[in-house]
Formats: sequence, structure tokens, C-alpha cells
Amino acid sequence: MNFLLDPAIALYTALAVALSVWIGVFIFLWRVDSAARELRRRLDDESPARPAAAPRATLEVRGGRTQQPVSITEPKAE
Amino acid sequence: MGAGLRLAQTAKLLLGVWMAGIVVAMFLVIPPYVGLGDAGRIIVMHVPTAWVTTVAFALSAFYSARYLWKRRAADDSGAVAAAEVGFLFCALATITGALFANIVWGTFWNWDPRETSILVLLLIYAAYFALRSALDDVERRRRLSAAYNLFAAVTMPFLLFVAPRLADSTLHPNCAFIQGSTCDGVWLETKGVRIGQLGDVVLALQGLEQRGDVAVAYVEVRTPGLQNVALLEPTFELASGKPADRPEFPGQQFLLAVEAVDLANGRALLNIEAPGTGLLSNSRTFWTFMAANLGFLGLFIWLYRLRADVLVLQERLARREVVHELPA
Repeated sequence: MNFLLDPAIALYTALAVALSVWIGVFIFLWRVDSAARELRRRLDDESPARPAAAPRATLEVRGGRTQQPVSITEPKAE
Repeated sequence: MGAGLRLAQTAKLLLGVWMAGIVVAMFLVIPPYVGLGDAGRIIVMHVPTAWVTTVAFALSAFYSARYLWKRRAADDSGAVAAAEVGFLFCALATITGALFANIVWGTFWNWDPRETSILVLLLIYAAYFALRSALDDVERRRRLSAAYNLFAAVTMPFLLFVAPRLADSTLHPNCAFIQGSTCDGVWLETKGVRIGQLGDVVLALQGLEQRGDVAVAYVEVRTPGLQNVALLEPTFELASGKPADRPEFPGQQFLLAVEAVDLANGRALLNIEAPGTGLLSNSRTFWTFMAANLGFLGLFIWLYRLRADVLVLQERLARREVVHELPA
């Protein structure tokens, strides 16, 4: 392996190492990018979960005349 | 596949080829330099990563400011992603700089003003990530870290551009390698202030005399820890007003030069020079360097957008799990 560090070819050894590192980094990034895009597509395609029921409040007068309960929050449309 | 996606994929492939070309050019196209050998090639990696660090931290601050204004989660993700990638590039600039320093200065780290300021910048952004991880409440984490990030960004131009230039001198190539940039050097006097410092090298002016049409300065040079002490005799051409002989520092690839003299008052302006001055004056080096700047900027854009996407997806997945766990 020492021949790789010979001054005549050390530059080419360094070039090969640097190029290999870049190709490896690029492939890794490409795969992560593809995986992220696929995950986003699946999440977008997935049917939205049933929304939580909207809280509903009513006001009712007690101890006086009987009144109809008054709704102050419309139920959330489903 | 939509047209936009196809364009983005093509741009990424082109970036891959572009950066591979820069790596090849770094080793095979740009020439070696007298006194530096192949070490000068690292400028193609070192300087662009440092520049991209500046862009990244500025972009991160922009997203943080926008988060504080509009309170959108996507802005918080953008700020974190840009800061993370900026931190990565800052670390790369520090590592490549240390490799260069080991070849040229003889040590990986010598607390040069430039080295110290970039280390402080790394610590400031490390604290930003520590702050984020220390806060459990999502809203509070976003708000506080955005405010901190704005303060961190204010320190960035000071630490990268101002602080290293406030020092009397630095061994960083900013003043030693690229012609036209300023490195003030130090005025020493035979009858007054005799001792000065350039970088981590201590100089003592022992004498100054005229010998024919040149002025000769007798300078005692001490390297850190007094490992090397030598008497150097740089000369100055009185007729042309330019440095003549530039003796080399003992054990280091730096030269000592007299840049101006005042014989009547026994004063000399001493400065350091490194072989390879004018590194970017070679057109092949210059264009490879510019191409590297462009390539690293493209790589940063890809990385930070990818990281921001991943952060948004993580949040969507977490929200989805919470919704599914709710009782019907």
C-alpha cells in the first residue's frame, strides 16, 4: 500500500479518495432526498384522520325561568 | 413526475457532476505553489465552505425573524435547517484550515485570531442547538431559540470579518497570501518600542543601518515557547522603496520583510509574508475557486431544504401519531 503514498502518485491517490468521498456523499443525499419525497407523497395521499369533535358549549339559566339552552359554538362540520 | 420535480432532479444531478469536476480540477488543473507545494489547493475547499457558513447563518437568522413575526412552524424548521448546515460547513472550514495550518505553520492549532474567532462562532451555534434540545415545550422552544438565533447572527460578521482584523497581525492567509488585502505589520524602533508581535511570533529590533542603497534591519525572532530563536536580517531597497531580502522564519514557511524604514528615527515597519502570495492571481486557480463557491452554495441550498423537509415530515408524523392515539 505504500506505493500509493509515493510522491509521484500521491496526488492521484488524494484525488481518488476525495472523489470517492464526494460520490458517497452524493449517493447518500440522493437516497435521503428520494425517501423524504416518497414519505411526503404517502402522507399527502393518506386519507385525513377523523377530525376531533369541536367543543360545544351551552348556556342555561338556572334558578329562574326555564329557558331554551343557547348554543354558542356551532358543531364542527364533518 | 411533474416538470418542477424533473427540473429539481436535473439540477441535483448537475450539481453532483459539477462538484466532481471541482474535485478533479482541485488536484489536476490548478498549479502547485512555490513554498506551499500542494497545500495551496485546499483554498478550493476551505474558503467556499467559510463563505457558505456566512450565507447559512444569515439565512437562519432571516427565518428566525420571520418566525417571530408570523409564528409559522415552517420558518422555525428553515431556521434550524440552515443553522445545522451552516454549522457543518463552519466545522469543515475549521478542519480544512487546521490541515492547512499544520502544513504551513507547523501546527494544527495555534490560537491565531482567525482560529479563535471561528471556534467561538462554533460554540455560539452549538449553544443554539443545546438550547433547543433543553426546552420541551414546542412553542417556547421555537420562540426562545429564534430570539437567541438573532443574537447569534449579530456576532457572526464580527467574529468572521472584524475580530481577526482587529488583531495587530494574523498568520491567516487573509493578509499573507492574497495581494491587495491589508496586513498592517508592526512598527519597531531601535530607541523606543523594540519588541512587537506578528501572529504568535515575537520580534525584537536589535538594530537598523544603511548599507549602500539598502537598509538592513537586525531582528531577533522568537517562536512560541521559545522553541526557536534566530537573528534575521531583512533588507529594504531605499531607491525603489520596496522590500529586498526576506529571510525565512526558523522552521516555518514564513518570511520576514521590511516594508518601510525611517532611518533618521531608527524605525522599521516589519511584516510577514508567506510564499505563494497572490494565490488567486493564477487564472486556473481563480476560476476553479469561483466554480467551487458556486458549487458549495448549490450544495448548501440542497442540504438545507432537504433538512427542512425532513423536520417538517417529522412533525407531521408526530402529529399523526398523536391524532391516532386520541380516544374516539
